[in-house]
Amino acid sequence: MTTAESRSEIDILIRTYRLLARMNRAQNKGGSSHTLYFQLLADYYTRVRNAHEEGKLLAAHTVFFPTEVLYAMDIVPMHTEMTTWLSALFLREQAGLLAKGAELGLAPEICSPHRGVAGIFALNAIPRPDIILWSNLICDNTAKSGELMMELSDSPGFFLDNPFQNSSGEMDYLVGELEDMVHFLEERSGRKMDWDRLSEMVARTNDEIDLYREIGELRKAVPSPMSVMDDLELLSADYMFPGQPEAIQYLTHLRDELKGMVQEGKGAVTNERFRLMTLFIPPMYLMSYLEQLFEEYGAVSVVEPLFTLWSEGWLDPAHPLESVAKKSFLIPERRSMYGPLGEQALQDIIDCAEQYKVDGAIYWAFMGCRHTCATIKVIKETLSEVDVPMLTIDCDIVDPTINSEEEVREKLEQFFEMLEDR
Amino acid sequence: MDYLNTRSTESLNLEEFRAVNGTFPKTKEILDLKQQGNKVFGWLCTYVPEEVMHAAGILPVRITGYSQETELEDGNAYLYINNCSFSRSCLQMGLRGEYDYLDGVVAGSTCDGARRLFDLWQHYIKVPFQHILTVPRKYTERAHCLYYEQAVKFKEHLERHLDFEITDEALLKSISLFNESRELLKELYQLRKLDRPPITGSETMEVLNASFRMPKELFNHYLRQLLDELAVSKIEHQNQARLMVTGSVMNNPEFIHSIEELGGLVVTDELCTSTRYWSDPVVLNGRSPLEAISRRYLSNFPCARMVPSEERFDRILQLVRDYKVDGVISQIIRYCVPYAHDLPLLSARLKAAGIPTLALDVEYGTPGSGQIRTRVQAFMEMLETRKR
Repeated sequence: MTTAESRSEIDILIRTYRLLARMNRAQNKGGSSHTLYFQLLADYYTRVRNAHEEGKLLAAHTVFFPTEVLYAMDIVPMHTEMTTWLSALFLREQAGLLAKGAELGLAPEICSPHRGVAGIFALNAIPRPDIILWSNLICDNTAKSGELMMELSDSPGFFLDNPFQNSSGEMDYLVGELEDMVHFLEERSGRKMDWDRLSEMVARTNDEIDLYREIGELRKAVPSPMSVMDDLELLSADYMFPGQPEAIQYLTHLRDELKGMVQEGKGAVTNERFRLMTLFIPPMYLMSYLEQLFEEYGAVSVVEPLFTLWSEGWLDPAHPLESVAKKSFLIPERRSMYGPLGEQALQDIIDCAEQYKVDGAIYWAFMGCRHTCATIKVIKETLSEVDVPMLTIDCDIVDPTINSEEEVREKLEQFFEMLEDR
Repeated sequence: MDYLNTRSTESLNLEEFRAVNGTFPKTKEILDLKQQGNKVFGWLCTYVPEEVMHAAGILPVRITGYSQETELEDGNAYLYINNCSFSRSCLQMGLRGEYDYLDGVVAGSTCDGARRLFDLWQHYIKVPFQHILTVPRKYTERAHCLYYEQAVKFKEHLERHLDFEITDEALLKSISLFNESRELLKELYQLRKLDRPPITGSETMEVLNASFRMPKELFNHYLRQLLDELAVSKIEHQNQARLMVTGSVMNNPEFIHSIEELGGLVVTDELCTSTRYWSDPVVLNGRSPLEAISRRYLSNFPCARMVPSEERFDRILQLVRDYKVDGVISQIIRYCVPYAHDLPLLSARLKAAGIPTLALDVEYGTPGSGQIRTRVQAFMEMLETRKR
């Protein structure tokens, strides 16, 4: 695929998000948090598309990468996993990307989002990045995906080594890694880090974390106000716009919507019957279907401890780089998915089950995520201590050939019936 | 049909090594040491510094899984089916009490499988001492400082647990012993560079397996005996092609044997159970013993987890040249992600060097039968055709 064609793929993403925003605005008489979310993503991909024309460096990066640093240097971030799979979902190109990944020699056991990322790079189906940035947060797949991306795009790269445990020595190590990365970015971009701007972003990240916690509190209400579709949007606010005004704008809008619903006693589903804990992420291509199914059965996901439960603590804008390092230890995914799997992580699951009045849990066992699936049995046993049953559904979050709607419906129906009998 | 061309009716005396491997984990030496009141610790990855445990008077043994492909019901149930069969196999053995004599388990945060194996070992199999070291993925000075700090923490944790000081003298003695072992294994590998090596790949793997399953003092003694025997031996092996095996953790001599039965002679390898285990010595070079140990463990022949991967690729290509390798067999355990990600990059570099690669998806403990055998056979035929 040529550069012009790859540009058109991003154009399709932009057009799709603008269309979604317009449709949503029309349906919701002036707009909702969804409208805003779609508009923000359209803007995000407009920046990706225009980066080179505007003389800006385009940086492709893996998930959970501290892109605050990029924003502070006016470097345009392009989230590889999100970009790959959003475009694949809209264009229904999942099979093609996975086939290209296989052609490169990537084994089917490698997580499908990363096989797809390699595929999209090999096809030149996204704008060619100027630099590749990747880290070992959150798994071996992220740690090992960067070098192939560098080779396929013929771009230089930087690997950010995220230490495993949280000690002062490890924190210092991560800060040193971030310093090296800033030097790398300064050399490549010819721009100096704007430390004041980074401090502002750190201060804004505190507000962002506050909003996440507030939204978490609102979801404890009975009935619970947030739908399953909102989950992905909630997560991606920080994935795409960490410490940015966009994140605050979106999260504030969502918080206000939820607050209004709670005050009015409105739930995300018409007749709330089952309050669910979601572990890992449901298949992205089944989100709309699940929303319908949940409405039909009165089911609502009230908490996702692996993704929405931020650790205690705040960042210090006076020490911006140290704060960026610290943030990587506060994010929910760090504690529960990356590990180590301590007693506190398990206690958090119990606390969530109790505080959110959870009736049952669904573990979406994504076959590509080995280290998360390794906790299925432990978490199931932990939840059984507080009498919360857990359903495990093997799945792939992006490959639609793995789970059919019928199969998922059958499993969920049986689970809901069991919950009903209890 | 055995294609291996051996110019002697002699056979090597590997009885001591075989006795250890045949009874592991419940070997006589280990059980005797336990009875005498000694402590035995299990370690989970080559980034765990054995010398520190040895200097504390502990026998360090490597935790490995079943020596053959086995139903892993418990492993599947506890670690789920998408973790590598090595982790599942090890955990199942632990859950079934095969390692019930262990006084401690030590791991490194090396890969997802290893750290989750440690998490679950800690959760379900109670041992008096548990420790996991953060292992950086880089080789920078900062990474060396962090790993050294981790080694210090590990040593201090051990000292508190044992109420016993691990002195520099003790560490120096352990370094000397482990370096001797590495030097002896290097001598063994030098023999494999010969046009007609006196030892096969599968026999070498039997020796290597014993190296981390018994006291080093005894292992060195047996290995010295074997080297003396090899020095005067008339055994010479030759085969259709000289091969190298790369990839995931592997302890199975039967797998190597099945390759050698089909016309290959495995002359070297890049496995954490073989070359990557012994290749680099601890070099003091003015450093304290613990600094020297930590530097060796982080900069040793790297696992695929390390970044940049070029260091590993360069060392593999050097082995290819040193051992006059005709072809490479990459055996990667399903769900062993670090090696699976590297495969396209490594294969391209080997191809550029004119070395064909056979990529096999395997399960830990496979004897190399069935489809694997068919693919190896086809690979051997291809190599044979290239030689003509």
